[in-house]
Amino acid sequence: MGAETEEKLLGDESDGSRAPSIHLIPLFTENGDGEKGGKITPDDDPLLPFSTRWTCGECHSYGIINKGWHFNVADPNVTPGRPGQPWILADARTGTQIPLSYRPWPGTFKPEQVGLTAREFTRYFGRHTPGGGAGELETEDPDEIMREFISGKLEINCLSCHNADPAHNQGEYFPQVVRENFRWAAAATCEFASVSGSARDMPETYDPFMPEPPEDAKKVPPGVKYRENTFDHENNVSFNIVREVPTYRCYFCHSNLYIDKEDTEKWSSDEDIHLMAGLKCVDCHRNSVDHNITRGYEGEASVSTNPLVATSSCESCHLGVKDSSLPLAGRLGAPVPEHWGIPPVHFEKLTCTACHSGPWPSEKTILTKTSRAHRLGTLNANKSKEALPHIVAPVFAQESNGKISPHKLLWPAYWATVEDQNVAPIAFTTVTEVIVPVFADVNRPTSGDWPELTTEHIAKGLEALAKSVKGTPAYISAGKLYKLDDSGTLSEEEHPSANPYLWPIAHNVRPAAQSLGVRRCEDCHSTDAPFYFGDVAVDSPIVAAREAKKMVEFVKVRPFYTKAFAFSFVFRPWMKIIALGSSAILAGVLLLYALKMLACIAKALTERD
Amino acid sequence: MFQTISIVAFGVTVGCMALNCIISPCKECWRHPLRKMVHLFTLLFIEQKLSPMGVLRKLVYLLALLCFVVLAVTGFYPTIILGEHISGYLVMVHATFAPIFAICLAVLAVMWARNCRFTHSDWPWFQRIVQRVTLVKSASEEAHYESTGLGQKITFWLIIILALPLILSIILSMFTIFGTYWQELLLGIHRYTALVFALVGIVHIYLVIRTKMQ
Repeated sequence: MGAETEEKLLGDESDGSRAPSIHLIPLFTENGDGEKGGKITPDDDPLLPFSTRWTCGECHSYGIINKGWHFNVADPNVTPGRPGQPWILADARTGTQIPLSYRPWPGTFKPEQVGLTAREFTRYFGRHTPGGGAGELETEDPDEIMREFISGKLEINCLSCHNADPAHNQGEYFPQVVRENFRWAAAATCEFASVSGSARDMPETYDPFMPEPPEDAKKVPPGVKYRENTFDHENNVSFNIVREVPTYRCYFCHSNLYIDKEDTEKWSSDEDIHLMAGLKCVDCHRNSVDHNITRGYEGEASVSTNPLVATSSCESCHLGVKDSSLPLAGRLGAPVPEHWGIPPVHFEKLTCTACHSGPWPSEKTILTKTSRAHRLGTLNANKSKEALPHIVAPVFAQESNGKISPHKLLWPAYWATVEDQNVAPIAFTTVTEVIVPVFADVNRPTSGDWPELTTEHIAKGLEALAKSVKGTPAYISAGKLYKLDDSGTLSEEEHPSANPYLWPIAHNVRPAAQSLGVRRCEDCHSTDAPFYFGDVAVDSPIVAAREAKKMVEFVKVRPFYTKAFAFSFVFRPWMKIIALGSSAILAGVLLLYALKMLACIAKALTERD
Repeated sequence: MFQTISIVAFGVTVGCMALNCIISPCKECWRHPLRKMVHLFTLLFIEQKLSPMGVLRKLVYLLALLCFVVLAVTGFYPTIILGEHISGYLVMVHATFAPIFAICLAVLAVMWARNCRFTHSDWPWFQRIVQRVTLVKSASEEAHYESTGLGQKITFWLIIILALPLILSIILSMFTIFGTYWQELLLGIHRYTALVFALVGIVHIYLVIRTKMQ
């Protein structure tokens, strides 16, 4: 069908009507060969979940959509663009928090580097994806092929974004993904179906298309039930599908919780100013049927093929597009900023977000939780503020384009092997098998925080690993590499592989009246301004390594110069007074002699007369 | 753009001064260059015969000269040589010397304005210039006496006049009264005024040196 063809399908191109399209459509399954199955009716036996690939793919080219930004993570041909939020494999038992990504963002590791297959990666992290990506990668492992026949692939769940029905439960995606009910996951989230059982519990011989009751009666095979009245008289189903994704759908995967105060409940903090002004996420983060959504950062135009990129950044809406023949500033009612008193050099050195986004910088960075890192919005998510992974923000750091912007930061902590200064993480399963027994006696906080490790613990862990892995085992944490030297003593050194991973903060955008510099230059240019001299927490399970670094190290400017420059602002009012006073004297002298000159001319003219 | 204009402007100014040296050479300078160099150097010292006010005037002048050199170097070096905006330690040095220079200019304006008034003796010279430019013969007899230091007077008043937009353009941009457009405009005014100011300043120094050497 149209899922893989180049031919445009009914829903690939709009006819120009802005009215919503009504989706009263038949549901289709995927058969055991991964092809389009039959139309689903309530009397089917076994009753199978609908496949979005074949149901939505009837009218929307699945083969085009799955190349979109949310689904092309594992495609090596896709330009990675600006580093983004990684997936974080965090485990307090082993002192691990390691950033993973299929995209080649510097500082992240490929899942296979920690021994995670695409299937395992999907089981860990598929919960906060809209399906596709790693969930649809082919495998050559016979065992995984067998398991995939039972579980199906985690195909793109169009409903996670486009279902506007209030009963759509994206939180249900998590248990289904964990149970490897990949084939059933999309149906489980929608308002008219419920899924039970677990594909993971089924033996390799289980056939979901001709299911036999499992030998172990306690194990429930995966199954779907459609609510009464789901199907109409022609066995079509009505979906509340919207083209413009509601903001609360984006929030499921893109929520941030900045723990800057005791009360971090939703009602005690503000949302992004754009949302408050009535915009939706997709008003700026736009895409066509190719789902190549704009990320909206400065410089994206150089790596994106999306023609909307040029008009979807902060600058393009608020200031317009440079060299454009049309006046594009003020798109969607965006106010054109005046930036009273801000020297233009700031726009060369800072991104818009530096002053306008994220939490206001304080003396010390704050812990931050995100949907994807902390499983927010899912059942039994750890609500503790100290829960791993530990992400700190805002950290002002230089981006690759040389501009300073606020970032979230993660200090990687992982077990690795070192050979000729090359550091390679050890497979997570090996780490678990070896390290968990070694740290068995270490008290682990119920909050999900780090256990309080000492260097002795690390030495013990390294000794144990030395028996299980090839090469010299090492532990990376707090920006340092720990390893045992030839005498068996623990040594530590700064190492590039221990550098923190940072990714820029774009939201929440604060109103202009709450932007940095709105009060005075000293918001940033004072000797104790957090922008340069705030403390960035160095996070580690090793208690002795928990320190702080100054923000200025990440901004990559000379600390002494920055301090001296900030100090010069003490004298700036004097400079203004002196300069204005001098100007007044100069103007006075000029005026005086100009009048004298006039008097001379008048006198000369009078004498001539 | 500014870089090119600056390079051309400085080149033309230095070229003109060199041409002036060739066309109207200071014979003593060529005859005893070492002696004249020493003499030039002694101009930086305070003469004993000066009154307290004269000493103050000379000190302020020398300080202004030092500030001028520092400001010109810190301001134009990054623009002309590096092709970038002033930043880093240079901007700090620039901003430190700028208010001192402003004070010096104000003091010099007060102290020197009277000496730099245009007088009757300057008038014929003006007349002659006007006549040569417009080719209109005056009925009156052409004056024959030379005006000494007229160039210095003109450059003095130009310096005082240019100092105002030079100072105000940068100081006003530090107040929260101008948006980005005006900030950029003020910066442009500062840069181009600074260029003209520097050129006038160089000519002024050249004329002073020539006068003192003769």
